[in-house]
Amino acid sequence: MIVTRRETLTGRVLLLLLMAITVVPFISLFVTALHPSGTYPAGLSWPDDPQWGNFADAFRSARMGQLLLSSVLIVAGVVPISLLLGTMAGFAFGHLRMPGHRIGFLIFVLGLTLPFEGIITPLYYQVRDLGLLNTRWAIILPLVGLFMPFSVLWMRAHFVTMPDDLSEAARIDGATTWQLFRRVHVPLARPALSSLAILLFLWTWNQFLLAIVLVDDPAKRTMAGALGAFQGQWGTDIPLLCAGSLLILTPTLAVFLIFQRRFVAALLQGSIKG
Amino acid sequence: MTRRHSGAWLGWLFAAPAAVMYAVFVLRPLALTVQYSFYDWNGIGASTWVGLENYTRLFTEPEQFATILHAFELILFFSLVPVLLGLFVAATIRGIAQSRLAMVARTVLFLPQVIPLVAAGIMWSWLLSSTGLANELLSAVGLGRLTRAWLGDFGTALPAVGVIGAWVLVGLCTLLLLAGMSKIDPALYESARLDGAGPVREFFAITLPSLRQEIGVCVTVTIIAALASFDIVYISTQGGPGNSTMVPGLEIFYLAFSEREVGRASALAVVLVILVLACVLPVQRFTRDGSR
Amino acid sequence: MAALACAGLLAATACSAPGSDSDTPDTAGSTGAVATTCGSDPVTLKGYFETGFPLPKQLSDEFTKQFPNVKWEVREDQFAVITQNAPRVLADDPPDLMRLPQVSELVKDSLLKPLDGYAQAYGWDKWPASQLEQMRVNPDGRRGDGPLQAQGLNFSMTGVFYNKKLAAQVGMTQPPATLADLDAVLQKAKEAGLTPIDQFNGGATGGLAFPLQNLMASYGDPAAINDWIFQKPGATIDTPSNLRAAQHLEKWIKAGYFASDINSQDYATMMSRFIGGKALFMFNGDWESGNLDKQMAGNAGFFLMPSQAAGGKQAAMSAPLTYGISAKATHADCAAFFLNWVATDQKARDIAVTVGGSHPMGPSDAYMPAVKEGTVTAATLTAGATIGKDNGAMDFIANATGAIYAKSWTPQLQKLAAGQQTPAALLKSVQKDYESQVKG
Repeated sequence: MIVTRRETLTGRVLLLLLMAITVVPFISLFVTALHPSGTYPAGLSWPDDPQWGNFADAFRSARMGQLLLSSVLIVAGVVPISLLLGTMAGFAFGHLRMPGHRIGFLIFVLGLTLPFEGIITPLYYQVRDLGLLNTRWAIILPLVGLFMPFSVLWMRAHFVTMPDDLSEAARIDGATTWQLFRRVHVPLARPALSSLAILLFLWTWNQFLLAIVLVDDPAKRTMAGALGAFQGQWGTDIPLLCAGSLLILTPTLAVFLIFQRRFVAALLQGSIKG
Repeated sequence: MTRRHSGAWLGWLFAAPAAVMYAVFVLRPLALTVQYSFYDWNGIGASTWVGLENYTRLFTEPEQFATILHAFELILFFSLVPVLLGLFVAATIRGIAQSRLAMVARTVLFLPQVIPLVAAGIMWSWLLSSTGLANELLSAVGLGRLTRAWLGDFGTALPAVGVIGAWVLVGLCTLLLLAGMSKIDPALYESARLDGAGPVREFFAITLPSLRQEIGVCVTVTIIAALASFDIVYISTQGGPGNSTMVPGLEIFYLAFSEREVGRASALAVVLVILVLACVLPVQRFTRDGSR
Repeated sequence: MAALACAGLLAATACSAPGSDSDTPDTAGSTGAVATTCGSDPVTLKGYFETGFPLPKQLSDEFTKQFPNVKWEVREDQFAVITQNAPRVLADDPPDLMRLPQVSELVKDSLLKPLDGYAQAYGWDKWPASQLEQMRVNPDGRRGDGPLQAQGLNFSMTGVFYNKKLAAQVGMTQPPATLADLDAVLQKAKEAGLTPIDQFNGGATGGLAFPLQNLMASYGDPAAINDWIFQKPGATIDTPSNLRAAQHLEKWIKAGYFASDINSQDYATMMSRFIGGKALFMFNGDWESGNLDKQMAGNAGFFLMPSQAAGGKQAAMSAPLTYGISAKATHADCAAFFLNWVATDQKARDIAVTVGGSHPMGPSDAYMPAVKEGTVTAATLTAGATIGKDNGAMDFIANATGAIYAKSWTPQLQKLAAGQQTPAALLKSVQKDYESQVKG
């Protein structure tokens, strides 16, 4: 490849600049979190006496343990259910291709661009009438429904690439459709499933609107919803707010850094298909 | 042939659970949104049929209509800036895409995608406050007279919200476009260089046309993010000062849950859903033409 | 095809208009027999309090100390958030005791438990009538008389706080006696390079309503303002005297008497700047007295907004710190018992004054804790007596309707501060919103 040195240099400088802009808000958050609680620190100044205790205070006032547990419970509800339902439907639309599958799939695809605000009002009354308001189910069930278009699309895209021969062979061995699905296709779909799982985890964890509308108790919300409540309550104490925000960010950041390769790949594919 | 027959309708059994969840928690509420939009209802007592009045109010009351205009203004920041900047950066760093720096960059540029938008809102509210880093930097380079509370100033609040959105989306766009560029046949570039093409001609002759699909994806994702913005505005300005940053998503929330104008909230929601489709479908058509 | 599916679903749901199966909460019980005790079984009261003000928390802690069978499950939010959530929370997740925003609409929708039954049982009807007036609401939402719908933890007094050191620096030896005197001090402070007035006006909270209403009372009759707030038929905020008040406020804005970033300044920023000695004056209420006595001991002063002429009648916003019981509350009796305890228990009254900084509710001859001379708390309590004598107590213009603060005053005052709205158009616009909200 012919690339001049000048181009390489500008490329590096530009990249560094972009990275700096990306990272500065995080640094500012961190530095501010170390200032004495209740003060209004100016700009990016390192405090004379870093208050590491702010993190402990924020952990306590935000009841971080409970919040973590709550988010984990919600994710544990949303992700497996969505994966199961999405895979089954994806298998049906992509591989079984029953009569009317095109129309069925089209109806799902139309939901892809739906902004959550578009249905939040009736959703509130529906969830209330189901008696689920202020429970984690109020977030889990609607999210599963809202994630269906993407999950089905994603899994269908995988199953479309699976050769029919594979199924024929299993059929000859006398496998039922369910066995075919369970024994042959699900194991082969593992890479697609794990990427989808990552995306669903992230979107659930960061879900804000449903959390603030459908659940009043921050301890039963998602992390993002809890952060909203934390701002509502402690927004008047900037260092504490920053410390709390950082704590709430940590779990996703940690998961991201551990699985970063999968994450980046999943997110990039995710947006292409979405 | 036998397979087709025995399993012909079985597929629907597989699709049924997903379809039920989708119908109950998406299609039913969507239909109800449409229904509510023709009523005057406070969410508690009885409701009255008002026909199209909620819609006429939406389009005739300047304050209401302004929310839609704001959403379009946000498209400039959420879509145009990240896509253009992403194209520029991706094209510039294409040559070093395999370097260690670029690998690190992949991770770093993704950070804004991983965190909740709420957190981005909190960080930036602080950066853009009157004592924040943005003003400190301006003062440091001798532009002290420009300093202001960016999110509290009528002229700058909406663009400031836009900057937050651009920050969140620019990394995603850059990496998406970069991934697209890596699929372009290097031989194309080699021959262009041998023909004496500079980076600029190279970009317009080779890079841009090959990226049609990726650009389409970036535009789609970012337009939806702009029109349906809620989290960032809710955290950073609550729609103020005045109503200068009020966007449809937030207005729906306020109308439905604090003013309890369920009918008007629903009318706005219907308009929002249609707007998103109206913006996204043409983009999809345009990008699919070439690639499929 | 999808449209068809939608149409089908719509057909399935459209048989009934939304909300027609309304379940009106039981309000009849209010005049029936009430229990005036929390009993002895374990009770967990669900509270919804306002963040940043320690009073309810301390009162509830003390209450648990005296009545150990009562535990609390408390949720806190900033006032703006509470305002947004109130109808929803009261209807669908009913708290036993909740900090209330403006109550008119809540009453119209029968979301609050009327307290007349308790008022009789506990003898609240023998307290000075003015204490409870603002919480009496007709079923049509008009305030000032009708059934009692809420109760106060104490009642607050507002006015102008000042930094004594900075005041001496600009030669202000005693509180200004007239509005013109105040203007003169403001100008001197400006010339001395100080921020003359520290005020919040950012986000969802238009704090310029404080000085504006004080100016309105300075220029006009507080009773007329109250009529407007209580939704008396025909009342208007768009009067000549209010216009002069709004113009006066605009003059202050244009003269640079407020910080330039006022539209992004929130309440907490205002407090931190005032306590930090960055500003001379602050329009605020006595709920901060205890706090200021602690953090600016001896350095904070308070005066009531001066009138036009020296010795003229003075007025101030004075309102109960309103708490109510949801119509669907599980432990309404116990919550009411708590409210009565707050007004009558000696320890609770101590807390109301030392922590809350405001005058406790209750009979006029009830126990009053001793307050140290020279403190802000003493100054605000004395001011209360002046207002009582001048009959100058007003409710807050932000409390006229449920939405008037967030939808009208706040954006309008933010526009005024940015020079994007004229005083005349501001009042007209607020009045227009008010009329549509009162009617609706």
